Amino acid sequence: MNKTYNINIGGYPFTIDDDAYAILHSYLNKIEGHFRRSEGCDEILEDIERRIAELLEQRLKSKKIVAKDDINQVISILGTPEDFGAASEDGAIYDEPVSGREYKTGKKLYRDPDDKVIGGVCSGLAAYFGIQEPVWVRVAFALIFFAGGLSVPIYILLWALVPVAQTPGDFLAMRGEKINVRNIAKIVEEQVEQISDQLSEIGQDWKSKRRKKKSERKERKSWKDHL
Amino acid sequence: MRKGVLELCILAIISEGEAYPSDIIEKLKENELIVVEGTMYPLLTRLKNAGLLGYNWQESVSGPPRKYYHLTDEGTTFLRELLDTWNQLVNVVTQSTKNLVENE
Repeated sequence: MNKTYNINIGGYPFTIDDDAYAILHSYLNKIEGHFRRSEGCDEILEDIERRIAELLEQRLKSKKIVAKDDINQVISILGTPEDFGAASEDGAIYDEPVSGREYKTGKKLYRDPDDKVIGGVCSGLAAYFGIQEPVWVRVAFALIFFAGGLSVPIYILLWALVPVAQTPGDFLAMRGEKINVRNIAKIVEEQVEQISDQLSEIGQDWKSKRRKKKSERKERKSWKDHL
Repeated sequence: MRKGVLELCILAIISEGEAYPSDIIEKLKENELIVVEGTMYPLLTRLKNAGLLGYNWQESVSGPPRKYYHLTDEGTTFLRELLDTWNQLVNVVTQSTKNLVENE
C-alpha cells in the first residue's frame, strides 16, 4: 500500500505515488534553481512541465497512478541540470543572468579611439550628447572655425583633458549604457568579432599569396619543360 | 563555439519544416550532438525571444498541446549568415591543417 497525491502538471491532473511525488518535486525544484536566472525562465519551466505531462500520459495509458519508475524514466529523457552542464560546457551563456547587479553610472565624456579622425574628441562628444553620426559634430567644429570661432584651441584643450576610452566599462559609460554583465559581454563580443574578422582577412591574404606562389611554381615548371 | 554549432544545427533542422522539440532532439541524438531534452528548452526560448523562431500550438493525441517551432524571416536570414560563417571557418581550418593531414 502506498499513499498517493493528486497533482497538476502542466494543466493536467495526475495521481502520483508518495515516493514518486518526492522525486518529481525535488527534480522540479532543481530545474527551477538551475533556470531561475535564465532569460524566459517561466516559459522554460512551463515547457518542461508540459513535456513531463505528455511523457507521463504516453507512459501511463491505462494505468491510473504514476509510479517511481515512470518519474525516473521521464527524468532520464529530460535530463538533470548536471546533464545540461555537460551538454553545454559554456552553460554560462544559457544561464545569462537577467537581473544581474547593475551599477548605474551617468554618462561620461571620453574620447573614442575606435572612431577618430584626429583625437576622437568629436566622436566622444557625439556619444555623450547621443548624436548618431559624429560627422555632424565635426562639421560643427569646422563651421565654428571658419566663422572665426575658437574651435581649434577648444579641440586641443579637450584632447588634452578628456581621457580616452579604454576598458569595456569606459565604452559603456561613454555611450551611457548601464554597466552590467550583459553589456560588458556585448562589448567584449564586439571586440572578439573585430579580431576574428582581422584573422579571417589574414587567412584570405595568406590563401591568395599561396595560390600566387603555386601558379608561379607551375609557370616555372612549364618553362623548364620547354627547355 | 559549441553553442553556435548547436544553434546552427537547430535552425537548420527547423528550416526543413515545423518541428517539435523532441523531433529536433531525435535528429541531434543521431549525430551525438546533444543528449537530453532539457537542454533544448532554454535554447529554443532564447532563439524565439530573439525573433528568430516562432511557434504554433497544435493539439496532440496524448497530453497537452504542443508547441511547433518554425523559422521567421529574420531566422532564415540569420541561418544563411550563420552558414556562410561556418563555411568560411571550415575553409580556413582545412587550409590551415592541410599540411598536417597530408603529412600523416
